[in-house]
Amino acid sequence: MASETNDTDGEQSSRDRSTARPIDNPIDREALERITARNPSRLGVGRSGPRPRTETLLQFRSDHGLARDAVLTHVDEAVVDELGLMKIQSGVADKDEYLARPDLGRDISEETTARLREECTTSPQVQIVVSDGLSSTAVETNVPELLPVLLDGLADRGLDVGTPVFVEYGRVDVMDAIGEELDADCCVNLIGERPGLASAESLSAYMVYGPERGTPTSKKSVISNIHDGGLPPIEAGAQIADLVEEMCERECSGLELREDDREFQEAA
Amino acid sequence: MPPVTREPERLTSVGIDVGTTTTQVIVSELSVEDVSSGGATRLGVTDREIVHRGEIRETPLVDPETIEVDAVAGIVDAELRAAGVEDVDTGAIIVTGETARAANAEPLAHRIAESTGEFVVATAGPELEAVLAGQGSGAARRAAEREETVANVDVGGGTTNIAVFDEKGVRDTLCLDVGGRLVRLGKDGTVSAVSDPVQRLARAEGLELAVATIPDREALVAVAKAMADRVIDALTGPPYDESTLDLAIGSLPAESIPLDAVAFSGGVGRLLVAENDASGAIRDDPEPGISDPGPVSDDWRAYADLGPLLAAALAGRANETLPVVTLEEDIRATVVGAGTRTTRFSGNTIHVESDGPLRNLPAFPVGELDCERSELGDVLSSAVETARERHEAEPGFALAISDVGSLSYERIEALAAALADAYTPLPSDLPLVVVTRQNCAKVLGQGLARRVEGRSVVAIDELTVDVGDYLDIGTPMRRGGAVPVAIKTLAFDS
Repeated sequence: MASETNDTDGEQSSRDRSTARPIDNPIDREALERITARNPSRLGVGRSGPRPRTETLLQFRSDHGLARDAVLTHVDEAVVDELGLMKIQSGVADKDEYLARPDLGRDISEETTARLREECTTSPQVQIVVSDGLSSTAVETNVPELLPVLLDGLADRGLDVGTPVFVEYGRVDVMDAIGEELDADCCVNLIGERPGLASAESLSAYMVYGPERGTPTSKKSVISNIHDGGLPPIEAGAQIADLVEEMCERECSGLELREDDREFQEAA
Repeated sequence: MPPVTREPERLTSVGIDVGTTTTQVIVSELSVEDVSSGGATRLGVTDREIVHRGEIRETPLVDPETIEVDAVAGIVDAELRAAGVEDVDTGAIIVTGETARAANAEPLAHRIAESTGEFVVATAGPELEAVLAGQGSGAARRAAEREETVANVDVGGGTTNIAVFDEKGVRDTLCLDVGGRLVRLGKDGTVSAVSDPVQRLARAEGLELAVATIPDREALVAVAKAMADRVIDALTGPPYDESTLDLAIGSLPAESIPLDAVAFSGGVGRLLVAENDASGAIRDDPEPGISDPGPVSDDWRAYADLGPLLAAALAGRANETLPVVTLEEDIRATVVGAGTRTTRFSGNTIHVESDGPLRNLPAFPVGELDCERSELGDVLSSAVETARERHEAEPGFALAISDVGSLSYERIEALAAALADAYTPLPSDLPLVVVTRQNCAKVLGQGLARRVEGRSVVAIDELTVDVGDYLDIGTPMRRGGAVPVAIKTLAFDS
């Protein structure tokens, strides 16, 4: 349920591949359609001799291009401004370093810390962080719908929310550093998931109660697969608000929050 | 969230079938697990284990058209005690047979619900019965597993309900006024009652079945054969004989459906299966019957009705013309279907804010809300007003929205505002229940809860309901998880 970085469930989506030309002359066309409709993978796409068809290959390269773009592009400044997020940068200098040095993506510099303390509400119950992670596309597509629902939901529950922050080159655990510096009760990190060949716009929400640097992954909760073909972003916003409320009430997160997991751990 | 260590959640489900002739109870354990394959988490029943098969008893009647409610409730209590069950999570009661008894169904359902507590109660029309019998008998599973077209012919005391399944599910249902109890016989063979449709059928064959007379066995055999022919005619497809149309309840299929297999269930169906077993007529027997309600009498008057003769006639006709097979359940098919197949689950991001289960909420479909944001208020106000007028006598209604429009923050907020306004004129003890097809119940519920005061808000999603459906909404599974929902088609239909 939680992982070191956000590169766990790459992608699950339902991109429409019905336009692709299926196998010529299948023995049982209906059965083939049932199989391909069940799974977004490249099933039943036919072949040309021992090779994929040109069309299949182009589609594959196009999807791969989208995935690379999601990783390598930057979240539009206009989106960050419109959402009213305060923009900071992790300890990483550029995309290459971001990919090579996950450790730097989990922390923030002293200057950034000073700025945070100056410009943000300190000691909030909930600190919201938005990170580009491995998909800028995921942030641009989902956060504008998700964030207002989440803020409404937290307000409805009487939880006080700090100044939402956008982190460029952020990893999941950057929320530990930010939460620790701002003395937040709990932290939510909305982060772009590693893109796959079926969806490049999947977002995850990682959550931690009592954030501090080095908090183990087992103490983090996650709601993943947030995108139009998975959990719709607005519905995710309401679900995150519910989970955050429970975290604040029970003063824990991750495996400790799940009764059945706790039973499992105690039995082990 | 993906469950890592989670054991399946178990639900105790009860099926009760109060038929024309017999009343049966089964208790099953349903395993409920995450069955999602990508996309949003989804709960489903992954295993169904029947833990108690009740005795097959005569349905207690005050008179031929009135069920003895207290006696049926007594049977249910006794069976639950015998099964050692204290808490029932879900299930269904199906009151079958001639329509006059539907008047009885409602008080009976309420009575059973009171004594079993957390119990989702349903009654059914013949179409739903046909489907449940086919699901209980194993016909639906055979169709799915072998990709065959399979008809399940459930022949009971009052009606014959046929469901045709293919690999995708229910293909068609057809129901006829054909059943063993439509002719009642005394111990000495005296006719004590004949239903009108059978009387008409007999006359068309040039036979007279007068009450208080003792007809020849041959005359009764001829009537049974005439009834069997009507069933075969209905199964074979158009053009239909005039008398088949006369016996049909609802419509018959407009075109012929080629069948790979035909299975018989129900009380009369069981006699037919027993007859075929004895004669070795059926070679294709994939699994031995696991329900054995005791030996079948070979006395044709043993059941004081036409059942044995009808079974014999059907066996003769069906074996000549149809690919007859034997499946795992026969006489208990409907009750097994009722106990194991009637519970569905909503999506598990939902909003439920009510004190207990909600029962018998009529669905009021609003359809697709493809209108502009500015029109939402008017559209929903008039929908809620109409729904209220139509269902004033009932405890509430469930607005069913098949398409809310785009799943955007702006849209959902506008929808929540318009819905909350539309409910403002209604009494505050009337719950606001909304069912969506898209996965948006939690966010919609959140938007609604903020806007209404003192009114229960229930928003559930990923369900499709139609006009005429009634909903029973259980209490949430786990923390804020999915709710079991029974969608009843033609409930309390008269």
